[in-house]
Amino acid sequence: MGNDSFEDLVRRLAPQVLGALVRRYGRFDAAEDAVQEALLVAMRQWREHGVPEHPHAWLLRVASRKLIDLLRAEQARRRREDVAASRELPSEWNSPSDDADDTLILLTLCCHPSLTPSSQIALTLRAVGGLTTAEIARSFLTSEASMVRRISRAKRTIEDSGVPFRMPSETERPQRIDAVLRVLYLIFTEGYSATSGPQLHRACLAEEAIRLAEITAVLLPEDGEVAGLLALMLLTDARAPARLNEHGELVPLHEQDRRLWKAESIRRGVDLITRALPRGEVGQYQLQAAIAAIHDEAPSSEATDWRQIVALYRLLRKVSPSPVVELNHAVAVAMADGPTAGLALLDALDDPRLARDRRLHAARAHLLELAGEPDTARAAYLRAAELATNIHHVRYLNARAHSLGKDTT
Amino acid sequence: MKYMILVYGSQPDYDSMAGPATSAEELNAIGEFLAEFTGELAASGELLDTQGLATPVLARRVRLRDGVPVVTDGPFAETEEVIAGYWIVDCVSFDRATELAVRLNKAPGRIADAGVVIRPVMGADYDTD
Repeated sequence: MGNDSFEDLVRRLAPQVLGALVRRYGRFDAAEDAVQEALLVAMRQWREHGVPEHPHAWLLRVASRKLIDLLRAEQARRRREDVAASRELPSEWNSPSDDADDTLILLTLCCHPSLTPSSQIALTLRAVGGLTTAEIARSFLTSEASMVRRISRAKRTIEDSGVPFRMPSETERPQRIDAVLRVLYLIFTEGYSATSGPQLHRACLAEEAIRLAEITAVLLPEDGEVAGLLALMLLTDARAPARLNEHGELVPLHEQDRRLWKAESIRRGVDLITRALPRGEVGQYQLQAAIAAIHDEAPSSEATDWRQIVALYRLLRKVSPSPVVELNHAVAVAMADGPTAGLALLDALDDPRLARDRRLHAARAHLLELAGEPDTARAAYLRAAELATNIHHVRYLNARAHSLGKDTT
Repeated sequence: MKYMILVYGSQPDYDSMAGPATSAEELNAIGEFLAEFTGELAASGELLDTQGLATPVLARRVRLRDGVPVVTDGPFAETEEVIAGYWIVDCVSFDRATELAVRLNKAPGRIADAGVVIRPVMGADYDTD
């Protein structure tokens, strides 16, 4: 993080300044607004006049003034005694050693279980990521005004729930960290899965999720799941350059040009997960990252260590069972032991959540094709295409069906 | 003022987009046109919401017959033009919304016979959340 731009610097300092302000005044709601305003001023002034000598202190001073203005206005509205105004301007109260804790507290606060996922995401991006409301609104294709409302409501919920600004207790902590990881992963998938619309902004979300996971990994160096999540993001993002062809069509993993994958991301991801795995209890992110690492390191689909992947999916089924994990497990078994074994597993899945899911039918189709049953494979591809709502998926599935023979209908 | 801008398509239009009748280049051109259109609306702050709707065969119609709910799957006639997508915008005037609709008529690909329809939104405090 040595030679970052002033924008990166502003955004890196944002949670530290916010943490210091909330510690001092105890008003998360207003402090967050004040920091947002200070960030906007900094972006404007630093661009023109350069970064001040003590950027942290500069931001703190501007944000404190904004906060005092806000509290004053509020006091005036309430026609009460002007207590906030009589508070002294802070000078050197903030010790840098608190910054790391503050950022972690902010993360757990923004991902508080009383908030909806969309609010958690918006608040995390603003309060910890230092993104402006306009940037967040653009990423989610909504208006700035409605994003402002969503963020204000989220902050009010936090204020009303009376959560103190401190580290969650030992007993609470694992769940709260889990919630943080889930939110970061949601931000990542939101950015990564976008295959249409203004892709640029969405790609930024994946990048931002990786940045936030990196910050979290620095704050919690002993946590295997945090390392696992960061590794999973890096190893997934590594394939992004090969995921769509020049026409924007989806390219399945086994057909991707692996030379396009980002070698540096793979190296970092593999390194992270290799060091995390032996450290102790293995969770879902570490397992998913380990699976991604095997794919990323294989020279081709055929040369992939499918047995190892099957073993990892078996663990994942225990740690974090879900219909999609069952599906992926069945496909891995097919790749390791032949399509018939995989098909048997798929047929045994009678999860109602999957019956109308294109992924089940697409997986079946793929395995039937491998098993040398083009007619049933074609029908399954067509069924999957019917159920898909993403135009790129629909086209891919129809094209597969088409390649297996003429339409009889 | 808030307006809903609606675009239309029939089942054959959807089928054409889903298969070889539309080339990847053509589809890409449509995608890029829409991404640029929506991106500019987002940048100008006029965009409140936008969605494209999945193929009409996946639609369901729910009606009460003698007090009993009756569900019909894929209820549209083959060539019926149904809503294919919408933008909800907050813009200065009906003229501006009309300008946007004119632009959508120039999108690559087939434009439905229904054209592009603008409906002013009732009330003044539409909330996209």
